[in-house]
Amino acid sequence: MDKALLIQLLGSAVAVSLLVAIAAWARIPRPTPPLDADGARALLAVEFPDDPVDALWIAADGAGVVARSGDRALVVWRKGDGYVARDLAWSAALAAKPDKGFLRLKTADGAPRLALNDGAWPPREFA
Amino acid sequence: MKTFDPVQMAIPFFVLAVILEIVLARLGKANARYEAKDTAMSLTMGLGSSIAGAILGGAIFAATVWVYQHRIFTIPMTAVWAWVILFFAEDLTYYWFHRIAHERRFWWASHVNHHTSTHYNLSTALRQTWTGGVAGTWLLWLPLSFLGFPPAMVAIQKGVSLIYQFWIHTEAIKKMPPWFEAVFNTPSHHRVHHARNARYLDANYAGILIIWDRMFGTFIAETDEEKIRYGTVKNLASFNLLTNVFHEWIGIGKDVVRHPRHALGYMFGPPGWSHDGSRDTSHTLKAKWRARLEREGEKSTASEAHAAE
Repeated sequence: MDKALLIQLLGSAVAVSLLVAIAAWARIPRPTPPLDADGARALLAVEFPDDPVDALWIAADGAGVVARSGDRALVVWRKGDGYVARDLAWSAALAAKPDKGFLRLKTADGAPRLALNDGAWPPREFA
Repeated sequence: MKTFDPVQMAIPFFVLAVILEIVLARLGKANARYEAKDTAMSLTMGLGSSIAGAILGGAIFAATVWVYQHRIFTIPMTAVWAWVILFFAEDLTYYWFHRIAHERRFWWASHVNHHTSTHYNLSTALRQTWTGGVAGTWLLWLPLSFLGFPPAMVAIQKGVSLIYQFWIHTEAIKKMPPWFEAVFNTPSHHRVHHARNARYLDANYAGILIIWDRMFGTFIAETDEEKIRYGTVKNLASFNLLTNVFHEWIGIGKDVVRHPRHALGYMFGPPGWSHDGSRDTSHTLKAKWRARLEREGEKSTASEAHAAE
């Protein structure tokens, strides 16, 4: 490999590391406090504006939401300082098995790990 | 062959500008949000893009030189008028490249990773594609060399455009003076372009001049009515670098294998296109948004009428 190119690559890698370290040091992400019912509904209204919410459950740590909308489960979970939204069949969401206080829901391209309140699934909100 | 590369020269400026934006935001002097993993993804994409460019750059440059050898005119690199014409011609080319890169899935697959950040800061500008060379979008610039612009001249102007587009990736600047907003691409215009709100989708494709969007009907102004949410319609579920680079290519592959009869639609249709209409495109998302607005408008009219009674 060309020496100048190698130096350039190494220099770039150092610069990337430095910038990431400065970004972490600065602590200026978006504030994402644990979700409450109002926050969760507002988030669902943004992510699924055409889907009415029949029932709602918020993860124990406030970092995720599962809502029933007819025969679909609407799932929103925290990623970094933002949220990811997906849906899946309601029957599949109900059939998910809890494991050591957490529930892993398999969506088409993501599998959020949601903290359960008392280790039980489905929660009483979905009874 | 060594050629003048304005982008290489600008890299120290990029680094300093990102540090400045972070520090000013930390001190509360600028509106900017940074999340470490998101920043790492953006910057690593930028670094990888340089490597991908170096790998394919020679072949692309050779193709450009071959086209130039069959040129119609011979345009002097030293003439001011040539640079003026190239400025407009390259920027128009960029507009159409960018529009195709958003409105056709095959090219969206290589461009989407520039849009996967849910943040909008100077590091987002560096979140560049790794697969643009493979996607062949560089072919759109070949007519400039066929016309007679020397390949080095085109490469320099492309670099100038890329450098210009760096500073508009920020929330720290709200609006530029009205005359500037009317003619040039600005942070405000480009924030709209990075929005995932239905109302803002498929808009403001400009490189340097916003006039192309105004001419071709793709201009949307930023409004205070609705706060911009950044990213893609379906934000990525992880910070995995390879997912970011290849997820749309993998999606195309899966769709083509599942529905070979509809392969062309899944490759070259708009992002979100499906043969059974089960998915949303920008067009359907905007239609749903307009329908919601109408419903809300009817509701508020009805409630006002009820209150008046």
